[in-house]
Amino acid sequence: MLLAFRCALASERVTATAIEANEFPRLSQEMGVFAVPRIVVDGEPRWDGAVPEPEFLRRVLA
Amino acid sequence: MREWFAGLERSVELLVAVGPEETPRAGTGDVDFGAEMVRVCEELAELGEHVTCRVEDEPEGFPRFPAVSIRPEARDAGVRYDGLPWGYELGSLVGAVVEAGRAEPTLRPESLEALGTLENDLALDVFVTPT
Repeated sequence: MLLAFRCALASERVTATAIEANEFPRLSQEMGVFAVPRIVVDGEPRWDGAVPEPEFLRRVLA
Repeated sequence: MREWFAGLERSVELLVAVGPEETPRAGTGDVDFGAEMVRVCEELAELGEHVTCRVEDEPEGFPRFPAVSIRPEARDAGVRYDGLPWGYELGSLVGAVVEAGRAEPTLRPESLEALGTLENDLALDVFVTPT
């Protein structure tokens, strides 16, 4: 989660939101959340699980 | 935690947004999420002189409640936590405060360079659960 926050703090183009899945079940269902952390980029589910910083950047910027 | 907050290089405001809440998933117990969010953020603000807490009812820019915007020098930097960060997830909120309190970004130089090439806005949502 902190990597996403760091990206937002480093770039005015980036926003980062942590969403507590149990409190927002409808949105979680829409995003197909079965495992966490689930990373969604521009409204599109991309992957589950933590990855190192270089891989995180590579994936979100792909 | 007091030591971390004492080391903040700039002020951090926690803007707590309360409003109508979605019915949570079964098993989350009889928790008043909005009231708990206010309590948690106010207690965090008591731990460091550079951390402040403000509560607003249904402010603009918040699609879900409760939520907290973590704002370096009271500026909206696009860092938000939707829902109550309890259990292990409290660490994410504390980490966000510590990161927002740094004067310089902590990403690697190559990461900053990559972000610098962004030509469009990028929205990162990370779904989490309290564990």
